[in-house]
Amino acid sequence: MNLYEFEGKEFFKKHGIAVPNGVDIIRGMDIAKAYQSLGITDVVVKAQVLSGKRGKNNGVRFCSSLPDVESAVSDLFSMNVRGQYVAAVRIEEKLNIDQEHYISITYDTDTQQPVLVYSNEGGMDIEDVENELIQKIPLDIRNTHVQTDIPFAQELWNCFLQEDCRVVEINPLVKTVDGQWVAADSKIALDDDAFFRHESWKELEPRTMMGRPPTDREIEVQKIDAGEGYYRGTAGKYIEMDGDIAILFSGGGASIANMDALINEGLQPANYTEYSGNPPTEKVYELTKTVLSKPGLKGLWIAGGVANFTDVEQTFKGIVWALDEIKPTYPIVVRRAGPFEAEGMELMRQCAERNNLNVQLFGKESSMSQTAAVLADAVKKI
Amino acid sequence: MAILIQKDSAVLVQGITGKEGQKAAAAMLEYGTNVVGGVRPGKAGEVVEGKPVYDTVQDAVAALGQIDVSAIYVPPFAAKQAMMEAIDAGVLQINVIVERIPIQDTAYCLAAAKEKNIQIIGPSSLGYIAPGIGRIGVVGGPKQLADEVFMPGSIGIISRSGGMTNEVSWQIRKAGMGQSTAVHVGGDLLMGTTYVDLLRQFEMDEQTKAVVLFGEHGGSYEFGIVEMIQKKEFTKPLAVYVGGKFANVLPEGMNIGHAGAIVARGQSAEEKSKALAAVGVMIADKYEDLVTRIKPYA
Repeated sequence: MNLYEFEGKEFFKKHGIAVPNGVDIIRGMDIAKAYQSLGITDVVVKAQVLSGKRGKNNGVRFCSSLPDVESAVSDLFSMNVRGQYVAAVRIEEKLNIDQEHYISITYDTDTQQPVLVYSNEGGMDIEDVENELIQKIPLDIRNTHVQTDIPFAQELWNCFLQEDCRVVEINPLVKTVDGQWVAADSKIALDDDAFFRHESWKELEPRTMMGRPPTDREIEVQKIDAGEGYYRGTAGKYIEMDGDIAILFSGGGASIANMDALINEGLQPANYTEYSGNPPTEKVYELTKTVLSKPGLKGLWIAGGVANFTDVEQTFKGIVWALDEIKPTYPIVVRRAGPFEAEGMELMRQCAERNNLNVQLFGKESSMSQTAAVLADAVKKI
Repeated sequence: MAILIQKDSAVLVQGITGKEGQKAAAAMLEYGTNVVGGVRPGKAGEVVEGKPVYDTVQDAVAALGQIDVSAIYVPPFAAKQAMMEAIDAGVLQINVIVERIPIQDTAYCLAAAKEKNIQIIGPSSLGYIAPGIGRIGVVGGPKQLADEVFMPGSIGIISRSGGMTNEVSWQIRKAGMGQSTAVHVGGDLLMGTTYVDLLRQFEMDEQTKAVVLFGEHGGSYEFGIVEMIQKKEFTKPLAVYVGGKFANVLPEGMNIGHAGAIVARGQSAEEKSKALAAVGVMIADKYEDLVTRIKPYA
């Protein structure tokens, strides 16, 4: 999960990394009160979004009076920054900058270990900094100490390890004219797989990177895998999209290949959804109900590869329960194989018959991509 | 000869008393794999699928002698301890099926394994199968289905996805070819055994004449292949499908499919395909085209 700047700065403070004085505003809050509470005239007003390049895209404003601040805040709330939804606005003291540096820690897939990246050319994208000006220090995940005098390196490493981060970045890391080091920005990605050891993460608001607030359906689906059995077969993945073809894929790899195939056929997905790891019938039922609740659907594609150990009968039973309730009138194309495939397909066939559904069933004799073409034909006929 | 598995490899199942562990032990035995025992703390003395259970990997090694492979079937919060136990006991090959292990725990174990020259396949790996020889994990499913999909042959298979390991293997079989070894490397950002590691092993394997690979957008592992081909460290025909072309419409940093499939500049499906094509790798536009590309070399 990616954090907003203001959330990341709370983590920084906890680990002894200095951040500028600031206050956060959500829609509807009293701007004057917030600005005046800071007791500072010259401020920076910053859009809170889930990805970078905010400065270049007019997401940061310098203000020196209440009317300036008010108009900046309302302007930021009315815009998207590089397609990212502005969830909040942060007002901060303007720093007297002497130098801007860069520091981050992330996983390096070449060494399979964390790496600390540092440059004294901060304030811009690290990709745009010349290689000779970038220092890369490999870290050993088993050693809690960092041997370097780079400012905040140890604090950032503590934050990375103790908070189970996948990415921590300070850009710019500012040296003020009076010689203080301050984290002017923060970027943190938390490791979702470590939530079981971080009770406090439950308080973080649901979010999406799709450039809008998360939809009700997206929030609904996140609950499916919650609780103790979260790792026992997942069915809680749902990203709402603009198209009209409902998607129920099985398996992460198949889902990626199938999205490509669907778009190749000129169809547009209403959602991205994938269940895998042999989820129980109830999880698949909940997921299917949510997927099919989107208005304006024109087709449904249920597709997966030749399963290894996912029980096709038990997972299809969940889909059938939902189809029995909803009885869609648009074309449905199914492609699946694996354990108990015959039983699963028979459940589908009976469901189609008793509800008079427009369903076409395929096993492993057809490839998944071929059945995308079948769906495209069926949708065009209607 | 195949890679990774030999007929007599002694296999231990950690977490054998759990539902998934027991199912895996049964699946391996059914396929002729030499499963010698299992581990579950506090359950020493029990017997699962006719095999003895021990409290620790160390106890199992003491009682059974050398363990060649340990397959790990425990919940994600117990995975680090289980992996470290196998590493400390000196098991040279470890298959980790566990999904959703915190990345920090994975990195910790990979560092420890590397020091001892231990090969970890996974995490999030359903395992690997050498048709007619044996399998580690549950790739292929129940034996009857596995026999419909897998047949000894000359094609090596590598996949980021468990389902697609089976699906691609099926497409190969449907076209009349067989497989030398099919390996699911797992979909996490960090991979204990990378494409490059496996291609190195396939290069040395006489049975393998050509390799097909199912990759995904995100991560830099495909670029490692480019480098090894340039250095002539892999010289056999290779066909690759990189999924996730649609993902270029998604914002950077977003993740879809597997944990490692993160949208990132320089790591898109198109950029990877292009780089691979430039060094002579055959690129499939659809996953089933892997078969037509590789068939002349089988």
